[in-house]
Amino acid sequence: MMYARYGADDRVERPLRLIRRAVALGRDLRWPATGALVAAVVATVARLAGPLVVRTGVDEGIRVADPGVVTRASILYLALLVVQYGTSRAAMYAVTLVGERYLRRLRVVVYRHLMGLDLGFFGRTKSGVLVSRMTSDMEALTTFADEGAISVLTSVLTVLGVGVGLFVTDPGLAWLVMALLPLLVAASLVFRRYADRAYRQVREQIGLVLGALQEGISGVRVVQAYTQEPGQQERFGRVNERYYEANLQAARAISTYFPAVDLLRTVGTAIVLFVGGGRVLDGTLTFGSLIAFLLYLNWFFEPIVQLSNVYNLAQGALAALSKLFGLLDRTPAVVEAADPRPLPEPVRGELVFDGVTFGYDPDVPVVRGLDLRVAPGSRVAVVGETGAGKSTLAKLAVRFYDPQEGRVLLDGIDLRDIGFVSLRRHVALVPQEGFLFDGSLRYNIAYARPEMSDEEVWEVCRTLGIDDWVRSLPERLDTDVRERGGRLSSGERQLVSLARALAADPALIVLDEATSNLDPESEAQVERALGVLLEGRTAIVIAHRLRTAERADRVVVMDAGRVVEDGTFAELVAAGGAFTHLRSVWEQAESVWGDGGGGSSGR
Amino acid sequence: MTTRRLGDASVRRGLRLIFRMLFRYRREAVASVLFALGWMVMTVAGPFLQKVVIDRAIVGERRDLLAPLVGAVLAVGAGRALGIAGRRYFAFRVSYRAETDLRNRIFEHIQRLTFSYHDRTATGELMARASSDLSQVRLIYAMLPITVANVVMFGVVGGLLVALDPVLGAVALAAIPALLGLAVVYARVVLETSFEVQERLADMATVVQEGVGGIRVTKAFGREMAEVARVEAVADGIFAKTMQLIGKRAAYVPVFELIPSAAAVAVLWIGGLRVIGGAMTLGDFVAFSQYMVILVFPLRITGFFFAELPRAAAAASRVVELLRTAPDIVDAPDAGPMPPGNGEVRFCHVGFSYPDGPPVLEDVDLRIPAGSAVAVVGSTGSGKTTLAYLVPRFYDPSRGQVLIDGVDVRRIRLDDLRSAVAVVFEEPFLFSATIRDNIAFGAPDAGDDQVRLAARLAQAHDFIVELPDGYDTVVGERGLSLSGGQRQRIALARAMIRDPRVLILDDATSSVDAVTEAEIRDALRTVMAGRTTIIIAHRVSTLALAEKVVLIDEGRVLATGTHRELLASVPRYREVLAEVSPGEEVAP
Repeated sequence: MMYARYGADDRVERPLRLIRRAVALGRDLRWPATGALVAAVVATVARLAGPLVVRTGVDEGIRVADPGVVTRASILYLALLVVQYGTSRAAMYAVTLVGERYLRRLRVVVYRHLMGLDLGFFGRTKSGVLVSRMTSDMEALTTFADEGAISVLTSVLTVLGVGVGLFVTDPGLAWLVMALLPLLVAASLVFRRYADRAYRQVREQIGLVLGALQEGISGVRVVQAYTQEPGQQERFGRVNERYYEANLQAARAISTYFPAVDLLRTVGTAIVLFVGGGRVLDGTLTFGSLIAFLLYLNWFFEPIVQLSNVYNLAQGALAALSKLFGLLDRTPAVVEAADPRPLPEPVRGELVFDGVTFGYDPDVPVVRGLDLRVAPGSRVAVVGETGAGKSTLAKLAVRFYDPQEGRVLLDGIDLRDIGFVSLRRHVALVPQEGFLFDGSLRYNIAYARPEMSDEEVWEVCRTLGIDDWVRSLPERLDTDVRERGGRLSSGERQLVSLARALAADPALIVLDEATSNLDPESEAQVERALGVLLEGRTAIVIAHRLRTAERADRVVVMDAGRVVEDGTFAELVAAGGAFTHLRSVWEQAESVWGDGGGGSSGR
Repeated sequence: MTTRRLGDASVRRGLRLIFRMLFRYRREAVASVLFALGWMVMTVAGPFLQKVVIDRAIVGERRDLLAPLVGAVLAVGAGRALGIAGRRYFAFRVSYRAETDLRNRIFEHIQRLTFSYHDRTATGELMARASSDLSQVRLIYAMLPITVANVVMFGVVGGLLVALDPVLGAVALAAIPALLGLAVVYARVVLETSFEVQERLADMATVVQEGVGGIRVTKAFGREMAEVARVEAVADGIFAKTMQLIGKRAAYVPVFELIPSAAAVAVLWIGGLRVIGGAMTLGDFVAFSQYMVILVFPLRITGFFFAELPRAAAAASRVVELLRTAPDIVDAPDAGPMPPGNGEVRFCHVGFSYPDGPPVLEDVDLRIPAGSAVAVVGSTGSGKTTLAYLVPRFYDPSRGQVLIDGVDVRRIRLDDLRSAVAVVFEEPFLFSATIRDNIAFGAPDAGDDQVRLAARLAQAHDFIVELPDGYDTVVGERGLSLSGGQRQRIALARAMIRDPRVLILDDATSSVDAVTEAEIRDALRTVMAGRTTIIIAHRVSTLALAEKVVLIDEGRVLATGTHRELLASVPRYREVLAEVSPGEEVAP
């Protein structure tokens, strides 16, 4: 996750189109945005009017020894300050309000879109990348909204205003100062290019440092077992040193640019003093104008440096936007029909695969011309070697994917015609490796039907035979499953996962049997719970164990995307085909005696 | 996180660490401070020179003085620029150098800390020590030189202002501490609130991570909108907290921006009247305005520094805490090489418990003859893994001793011991490197032939050569994902290349399907031949590889014997094994 953030490339294609699209998403925020702009303009004008007031005070007050003018000018200036404070505070708040409101919306819009995407997308995309869309990319935008946006607004306004102020005060002197501008801009551009490169290096290197660090920590047991501590330290030291070098490169850029800008400012002051001072002596410039000029100069350089700083933030924000819109442009491969039908109740749970062909890559079918009918209420075990297409069949059965050819029918209706709500209500895929969500046990069990009462949740636990266990937990149903994180054993997690399925009460269950082993006691408990869950429902079980197949009403053997054998366990054993081979491999694995006989089927 | 004050002992230790590192790079630090002081002097001299220009050349109508005086302004400006450059560059160097060195030290230390430490410490926490905590510490080094110069500057400018004009000077002097206080309060408030915003952002990461991780479950039950609602709630939290932060920032920041203008008003009013009254010159008037401008940025920076210091000290104290944790397993002073022998392993009345914990192992007495294989069986938490890990000294027994070929493992040099005892972990961790490097991990000097031989022994060679880059394929976190069985076999090859006297296999067959398991079992059979092997078994099938089975229950050896013997005579063994499913007979 963290590498994605630092390794990100910040260059963006067609920024203007991106901005237009971003603006379109926040069109309704235009009134607060306008308010922010107005406040910022007023604040800037109030600020920039200050030196002109000072000029009047000096020229018409101090120089002619008129205390009344000095006092009036001071009071006027003070009033300007009050206005300036109020408006800049309002502008700052309003700009961020607009930005944060926008971001709040963007977060929800992006996440809603993400949740609607098909599982194929989630399979292809590393979860770290998706998390960084919602975190580091959003944060890049937040940083810009909180710090960059107001800075850009006030900086641009200030530069424009100061420019006007300078020309109003004295055009001749103003032109001279303006002559420094190309120099400043050039210096900023050179710095930008150099600093961009340096910072990209820094980002790359920090990614490597964090990666090495993470690896050094997660792999520390292996390192110690193989006594490679010195080698690891040396490797890390090298990566760490490169990060230092990259930082130093960036430091050199910064340590050159900022003094250069400062020097330019001094040059500006010197020009104003020399030329302006000379003209005061000539009598072609008032003394007050000279002072106003000196005051303006302080404000002229600062915003340009600011803009140069904000450039980074803006670049990062644009890059983030482009990635987020890229995500929003993904269309889900599985969508609800335009006129969805609900399943007619009561749902019997008859599932039919009718000539189904499917491949994650359409050119490489994983399931080919599959025909299969699962009778209502029956339990079918699907077996086969890795890559035979078992899991794909399971996913097609619950419409995680749509077939490229053929149909999958539930109670005679094509899955593609059934409304999502109805389909998810009656069909559940249960990945047996129990994934639990952060939250209470109750939340996890009642996941599919949050409206369940406590009594109903307890009923589910009782039915599944886990009520004693739940009662033994410190906070029973309120127990936080994550806080107890590692402490919920994998068997307990599987049980909760089964309880979740039972609570959903589906007519058709597709179950992918867990491959990881449990200690025998928990295994027995899970087995029992499974028996309860599948009772009276249509079930397709992707079996990884012999006894699971043994218990099914029917066993289907898959190979290379097709059903190659189909029948009861006894029939298949008697037939002596592909299943016999698979069975012997399993037996060997499960056998107590290894090469010998006996084991699970030895009776 | 509670804000720790500078007075805390641990925080003081943190500060000491900061100063120790500063002392190590004292040349750069001193250079940076000197440049900063130079910058400060030039900064203060600037407005003073401007005043001279105005008073002497312009108001005094000495055109001949204009050019040389403006030249002096330029020279001072150039000096100031040089000061900035040096101050920044050297401050960066100290700060990054200190950060880099501390990170190296942390990494080295983490590598030395033993299993018991890592068992109870989350990866993320150690990552935070070496990343975010260090960044915070670095900030202090980066800001220290300019802060020193700034504090000096407040004194100098204050003095100058009073010298220029006592009345205006007094007003300004009163304002400086007030503004500095305001800056500190502001920085503290904002830092606290932004910390809370950070926490909300971290919540977002957690929720999204989980939503993405559980997408199959979510889709299976059609609960996408519930997940969106979760994100919406967190997004609302972020929004509210951020606006709270901005509310504070919007209240304070304009104040700082107003300081120069407020100063200008004071100067115009008080100064203007005093100029008219003849108590002040026009040059003083201008210089005053300029000084007030100059002070704004240093005020804010200094406020930030003092608000940041306690946090950095707290971060440093966390680093110190880590560095002060001593590894509990080190070479004994009189440790020697591995004794000659073929790897007989003996546990003599071994007991083990974590500090303040209940006993994990109690009075384990066991002899494993050289070259034989023993399977250790027990339910989760029975202590079977701990028992095996005592041999390579991943843990040391609290009581009794573990002997290899008659010598207590604590009297053997760790390097030698661990070279002779290879461990294949339950979770076969691979580094982000080529397969060759991963296999040769414990023997970096091994040639290609040795790597291939080890891979063949582990039955990994055939699948490796079929990978896109063969042995050069990069695997691990940032490389090609291998299947569980493939990773297991590479881990086996990694053990084999050391040609260990004793082999410890921790449940090497979990999480793979039956076919892969069969392949791994074949691999195990070849690598175990003629080696003392301890197999920590979860599966019944693995037992077939061992000549003898040891049943561990609640930290004690309950029984030893062949599988058949135990089945026949030990009911608990049947309980642990035979309940794989009710109604299914395990016994013959």
